[in-house]
Amino acid sequence: MDAASLKNAFMRWADAMDKAASELNALDAQLGDGDLGITLKKCAANVRATLTVAPDSLPGILRAASQACADASGSSFGTLLAGGLLIAGKWLEAGKALDRVALPELLRHAVQKLSARGGAQLGDKTMLDSLQAIAQAIEEASAHDDLADVARAATASALKEFRSQPNRIGRARMFAQKSIGLDDPGMVAVMRMTQSL
Amino acid sequence: MKKILNAPSAYVDEMLAGLCAAYPSSYRLAGDRVLARAGGAVPGKVGIITGGGSGHLPVFLGYVGDGLLDACAVGNVFAGPRVADCVSAIQAANGGAGVLALYGNYGGDRMNFEMALEELESDTLKLTSVRVADDVVSAPADERARRRGVAGMVFAFKIAGARAAAGGSLDEVTAAARKAADACRSIGVALAPCTVPESGLASFEIADTEIEFGMGIHGEPGIWRGPLKPADALTDEMLDLLLPELNLAKGDSISVLVNSLGATPHEELFIVYRRVAEALAQRGVRVVMPLVGRYATSMEMTGMSLTLMPLDAELERLLQAPANCPFWKV
Repeated sequence: MDAASLKNAFMRWADAMDKAASELNALDAQLGDGDLGITLKKCAANVRATLTVAPDSLPGILRAASQACADASGSSFGTLLAGGLLIAGKWLEAGKALDRVALPELLRHAVQKLSARGGAQLGDKTMLDSLQAIAQAIEEASAHDDLADVARAATASALKEFRSQPNRIGRARMFAQKSIGLDDPGMVAVMRMTQSL
Repeated sequence: MKKILNAPSAYVDEMLAGLCAAYPSSYRLAGDRVLARAGGAVPGKVGIITGGGSGHLPVFLGYVGDGLLDACAVGNVFAGPRVADCVSAIQAANGGAGVLALYGNYGGDRMNFEMALEELESDTLKLTSVRVADDVVSAPADERARRRGVAGMVFAFKIAGARAAAGGSLDEVTAAARKAADACRSIGVALAPCTVPESGLASFEIADTEIEFGMGIHGEPGIWRGPLKPADALTDEMLDLLLPELNLAKGDSISVLVNSLGATPHEELFIVYRRVAEALAQRGVRVVMPLVGRYATSMEMTGMSLTLMPLDAELERLLQAPANCPFWKV
């Protein structure tokens, strides 16, 4: 992947966030404050703006996107998104790859770091479970599978798998019974992100 | 949505501009979304910062003032403050004696404050933090650390602010804040929701005839929902949930905050306070400096909360020490 294609990927990501905003607000209104779509729309606008001035290096773009999300909002999803992008930027700066061998390793590393930051554990029904599902699916995929297809399928099946379970952290944990049968808004957001790949 | 505003996305910034224009001798902006004392950090005094979502005035930013807070990082309505604003708030409050971050126990707020503290902590700048977790309905007593912070925050601001104004060290101010935060217990009831400007959505749905008992300030679920009951019955039920956690004995002292969530009028708050005062008098508990009014709101939400804070001699003295901000004078 080169800088131009990463920037293009972020542009498609930003469009996808705009498109998903009202769906995510409505989902979040059932369990949270109803602002997940607003948060991601603000992140998308800031990321779009920063792409025009971001350096033409992969880690430079990831760092700029991270800062753009951190500047957009202090809501927990925005902070974790910024954290995840920074983790990816630092991964590349450390000379590590982003291929199908390294990607699951990066995702598991990010899950661990974001779990420490946010306090969620795997199984709590959060976006961490989606990231973990992507890592596992890539590891299990065959060499000729398209990675974007694998990620899309993984986030969709994680969503389905967790639908029948309660949310165990954040405001949504307080609606534990009600949350059974509902999709976690953060997991839906990650699925929409993979669909933009 | 029926609100007096311009662009919903400008809600917070226009509010901040108006607040500073109304009280220029009290407040100044120390960043896009940072409110600080007009006169700047007080040299040699421990700084106290807070932060959190907008939509709760006077919480959080309103309590920047003498004998209270030094700076506040301001988030969007009901959303945490950005890391960069937490950093700026710490810097604006730094008078050279260290800074305490004193805020409500919410996931986003905690992450952002922790990241800001990690960024700034150094040999020359000592930082501590205390989270307020007083809402008894938000988690059981054996999981107190998971409870959310509501109106008890006002008592914690007052106590910590008084200790800092009296020349306390960072450790002493932090200990006083923790003592106040540990002492407070709160519970709320809600009758009607508020609307978050940018989503245009009500914070929860409820029938005209119903009350939700135990509901949190953002519409977090309570214990039961049903037909509205008389004020005395509601008050007794709130006391029944708070008092068992406090182990009060005859002759103890306590402070009380009967707080409007926004739309509930003072008249109704006093009806509730009357019953609280009777119940505490019956137990031989002495009430010190009760607070009745709008101290921690959720915009136009209808409802109220009751906070109790048992006092030892130190807390009683710090509670009654002078304090002054545009929303509250002691």
